[in-house]
Amino acid sequence: MDQTALLFLVLVAMVVVFTVINPIFFSSAVFANILQDWGPIVLMATAQTLVIVSGGIDLSVGAALGLSGVVSALAMRELTASGQSAWSAMLLGVLVAGAVGLAVGLVNGVLINRVKLVPFIATLCTMGAALGLSLVLTGGTPVAGGPAGSIQFSSKTYLGMFTVPIIVVTVIVVAAGLYLHKTRFGRWTYAIGSNQFAARGAGINVESHLYKIYALSGLLSGLAGMFVYLRLGSGSASSGVGQELSAIAAAVIGGTSLLGGVGRLAGTVIGAFIITGVLSGLIIIGVQANWQRVVIAALIAVAVGAQGLSNESLRAK
Amino acid sequence: MTAVPMLELRGVDKSFGPVHVLSSVDFTARAGEVTALVGDNGAGKTTLVKCIGGIHPVDAGELIFQGTARSVRGPRDAALLGVEIVYQDLALADNLDIVENMFLGREVLTRLRTLDENSMEKLAEQALASLSVRTVRSVRQHVVSLSGGQRQTVAIAKSVLWKSKVVILDEPTAALGVAQTEQVLDLVRRLAGQGVAVILVSHNMNDVMKVADSIGVLFLGRMAAQVRRKDVTQTQVVELITAGRSGELGLSPAESSGAAV
Repeated sequence: MDQTALLFLVLVAMVVVFTVINPIFFSSAVFANILQDWGPIVLMATAQTLVIVSGGIDLSVGAALGLSGVVSALAMRELTASGQSAWSAMLLGVLVAGAVGLAVGLVNGVLINRVKLVPFIATLCTMGAALGLSLVLTGGTPVAGGPAGSIQFSSKTYLGMFTVPIIVVTVIVVAAGLYLHKTRFGRWTYAIGSNQFAARGAGINVESHLYKIYALSGLLSGLAGMFVYLRLGSGSASSGVGQELSAIAAAVIGGTSLLGGVGRLAGTVIGAFIITGVLSGLIIIGVQANWQRVVIAALIAVAVGAQGLSNESLRAK
Repeated sequence: MTAVPMLELRGVDKSFGPVHVLSSVDFTARAGEVTALVGDNGAGKTTLVKCIGGIHPVDAGELIFQGTARSVRGPRDAALLGVEIVYQDLALADNLDIVENMFLGREVLTRLRTLDENSMEKLAEQALASLSVRTVRSVRQHVVSLSGGQRQTVAIAKSVLWKSKVVILDEPTAALGVAQTEQVLDLVRRLAGQGVAVILVSHNMNDVMKVADSIGVLFLGRMAAQVRRKDVTQTQVVELITAGRSGELGLSPAESSGAAV
């Protein structure tokens, strides 16, 4: 059976189970809330999928989210204080958040291509540095004072659950999916993750491709930072802490192999729904919130375990 | 034998630091022929192949393609001249299918700059058909599921697809069983039959004597001799490989003692 269809069935089963335990789960209010959680996670998980398919990993997505949220909050506060309109402040916020994320991604690219660090270490360094930098900039307190009405703008729902940021995120994820599955860029990403030697032999400039991938990963994380800002109305250094775990989990649950060269973005999208759905569901059925990390960890273990088993059965054929 | 050779090497030298790996090597490969390149471990076969492929630019000497001396400073130069190397460890990506591998780095795009899967699939099937390949079930199979012989087939078909002029096969049968070796050697002959200059690097004397038209023997970085297959016996070739000379053939006694290296 098609893996994506199987994942979709898991998602449906999850909805059914939570609804049976507490019927409140099946409501547009809960779905709207899950979507709001899903937005930043799916952006980072999309970034993560690109990176993992290329044979790497990006631990800095959560810290990049935090840093770009903080820096764009500071920029928006300045612009708002100078009397500019909320719209121009939010536009600036998007640009600054994207640029900060991009910068984090480029640093990853330099560390991997020039300093020759393995992706795990390179992104571990930028993760620490980005988190530290956002604490330095804010002293640990959330940065508010941005454009008035940003929360109202971003939380106004259409059809009961879709907000403007969610629609934008959906468009970005669909575009990323087309980019990964229908273009030369995507094909080369799989080739590099599958056999870097073969990719080089085919004339692919692996270094420049990796720059693009990590830059894109940073950019998407930066946009996730803006998403979170719009939702909370402030930028906080801690907003991305631990989020890389959810992003990696969504990609892995979606069938992306940490060995590289394997993964579908549709799977990641469903994986992100499973993660955020489970977290909301647990709260609704009365499980203490602190159990969340444990549950995500367990989901990763189950997903990777299942992949390993299905790989073995493939080989046994 | 009257035509200009597809590829001719004259006086090629290559050193890595103080180590002189190739010294004034001459070598010729003709279109439509299989030219074997043999020699003991460390004789310089791999280095010579990498010089032709542009991976190691030569220190001195000429690379002459179809009568014109060319400078090959990198793999891209070699690729532009139509040189394709099929490595022993097969540069195929396991997680991609046959079509994806054959077109890797040279994908056919639609007008919208997306991948033109249908065209690529058709061209891949044509390339396989032109070599009379019947061992591959579907061109959409992932390479990981292929046998060693099938992988070699895909790698060779790739060179047909790209209309390569010089195809270098590095130990294509090293990891294969008897039946698969037969199939790959057939394929090598058909590839040459399409007008390609095939260079076969091999340790296997049976393979060489079976498919080669011409045999170049490297001995300690020197071309001991390049001979027509029909003019020599297997014993003579083995002597050339191990001693650098065989009767009248090969290096002079002084050279073959290794003193010059």
